[in-house]
Amino acid sequence: MSPERIVAVSEEPALLPDLVRVGRSVGADPSDRVVAVLLPGVPGDAADRARAAGAHEVHRLVAPASTDPHVLTSALEEVVRTLAPTLILVGSTKRGRELAGRLAGRLDLPAASGVTALRTEGGALLLDREALSGNAVATERIERRPAVLALLPGTTAPSPSVAPPGPAEDRTVAPVPPLTETVEVRAKAGGQLEIEKADRIVTIGRGLRKKEDLPLIEALARALGAEVGCTRPLAADAGWLSDDHWIGLTGHRVHPKLYVAVGVSGAVQHQVGMRSAQVVVAVNKDPNAPIFAQADYRIVGDLYQIVPALTKVFST
Amino acid sequence: MAETLRIGVAVKHGVDVTLTRADRATGRVDLAGAPRKTSDFDKNAVEEAVRLREKHGGTVTAITVGGPAAREALREALAIGADEAVLVTAESWSTWDTRAVARLLAGAYRTLGGFDLFLVGEGSTDHFGGLVGPRMAGELGIAEVASVRKVTIEGRAVLAEKDLEKEVEVVRAKFPVVLTVGQEINTPRLPTFMANLKASKKEAKVLAPPDVGLAPDSLAPVVVVEKVAVPEIPRKQVALAGASAEEIAKGLREALRAEGLVP
Ligand SMILES: Cc1cc2nc3c(=O)[nH]c(=O)nc-3n(C[C@H](O)[C@H](O)[C@H](O)COP(=O)(O)OP(=O)(O)OC[C@H]3O[C@@H](n4cnc5c(N)ncnc54)[C@H](O)[C@@H]3O)c2cc1C
Repeated sequence: MSPERIVAVSEEPALLPDLVRVGRSVGADPSDRVVAVLLPGVPGDAADRARAAGAHEVHRLVAPASTDPHVLTSALEEVVRTLAPTLILVGSTKRGRELAGRLAGRLDLPAASGVTALRTEGGALLLDREALSGNAVATERIERRPAVLALLPGTTAPSPSVAPPGPAEDRTVAPVPPLTETVEVRAKAGGQLEIEKADRIVTIGRGLRKKEDLPLIEALARALGAEVGCTRPLAADAGWLSDDHWIGLTGHRVHPKLYVAVGVSGAVQHQVGMRSAQVVVAVNKDPNAPIFAQADYRIVGDLYQIVPALTKVFST
Repeated sequence: MAETLRIGVAVKHGVDVTLTRADRATGRVDLAGAPRKTSDFDKNAVEEAVRLREKHGGTVTAITVGGPAAREALREALAIGADEAVLVTAESWSTWDTRAVARLLAGAYRTLGGFDLFLVGEGSTDHFGGLVGPRMAGELGIAEVASVRKVTIEGRAVLAEKDLEKEVEVVRAKFPVVLTVGQEINTPRLPTFMANLKASKKEAKVLAPPDVGLAPDSLAPVVVVEKVAVPEIPRKQVALAGASAEEIAKGLREALRAEGLVP
């Protein structure tokens, strides 16, 4: 079995330490190496954080910063040619999946996204990945290397005890002309909330009749010291709440201690977002709502009566 | 010189995740016999393609990679308004992984003479991997813009709004370009009775892997699914009832106190 040479790519710098940790857990043999690769324009402290997480080497790609997928994958193609990795890890973010797919297409590599666990068996990679809209977990095997894997944010491993010392190495990459041009970048409305880190969440769904009723939910959230979450229709269709409140397959995956779902039916695409909540409370007027199958505490009733009562009881 | 706009769109006939059931004893899901439907985002892709054609002229070709039943996805695409339908298929279709699908789509793209715009769902309803569109663009070495929520054509280029986690990036890309689109881009029309009838009469062009330049054995999966299972999450399932809302609320407070979640 040849040693693993694992490249962790900083497409999303905040995820790089976790990619390095997972890389170290997969390449746990002393002959294995984990190399953090910083894309052009990534802040300098990313190198220290990658080291602290256990990277053996840090390579900083030197080229004009770009978000063009062709420019970024071309730089990574060069990394693959020069570093000859056995495995390339990126975050399973929107950009991360795009890079993973494009790079895999350029070099004809095996690829998977939404990866939640990773191990080796003999020389093969075995991975768990979200499947069926997050409703299920698929276990997949990859024999051919190198492979490109996009790890779902939150996927991590313990930090190895020793962080190998050493400076970051600069690597100049040959510039290629971009295929796309960024015209404008707009911050999204809201965007401040990091609901994936919240300890308690009160999520509201289409059971809410109108936007003007939101204070009802906000009051309950306040009483519980919780953040307000929502289902897709409230953010994407109605626009009553910004995207940072949106929980589910196409929104955020949350891991709170307490999850209170109010007027939420519990569609599979919503469940994937709240599956790892510790305690789930559901309030719904329909006793057959699928959310109840996911609940620890079920309250069948009209939210317009239940929620004010909950707010009162939890405020005192 | 007005060139006619050539739009391609990929549609997948995938597993209907709302209808799959896990075996109670093993937790495993048998996908071979699972009910299938057209992937949600792919309908958005077809709708967007048809809207662009309605505005700018040209043709929309819907392409599916799959088994015989995937004709249903083509029929739906035709009913929404696609002009042509292409089925890329072989006996071994059910073994094809994301790589095989992207290579076949890229092969079909070349065989059919290329497209100005090629639309793909950002993720399929069943797999939701988000890799096929960028992978196909990578194979072809052409531009792509993923996660597009709005697109306009300006000359021989698109202006596309890319919806990222924290920001929206507006990107200009010259033809040819692959776009991946999500649900937010539009609401697909409900085809009329006549449109459905017409669509079911239209024949799809059928291509085998060698027709698109790929030897069948080059499509063997490199990512092999070992099993698909639904994780068991034990929930207490305690029903809280009471004579009044306040009584129920107090019941929940007791329960959450016992959980150590409220003082
Ligand atoms: C590809 C794809 C991705 C998706 N991604 C997501 C995602 O990330 N997140 C997400 O949430 N959804 C997602 N969806 C949508 C999902 O399928 C559901 O449509 C959505 O979650 C439903 O939201 P809801 O529960 O608020 O609304 P509904 O399903 O309409 O449910 C409303 C519930 O409120 C209850 N109710 C109504 N009035 C009252 C009342 N007065 N008191 C108490 N209860 C009441 C009803 O009984 C019902 O159960 C996705 C769908 C697709 C196809």
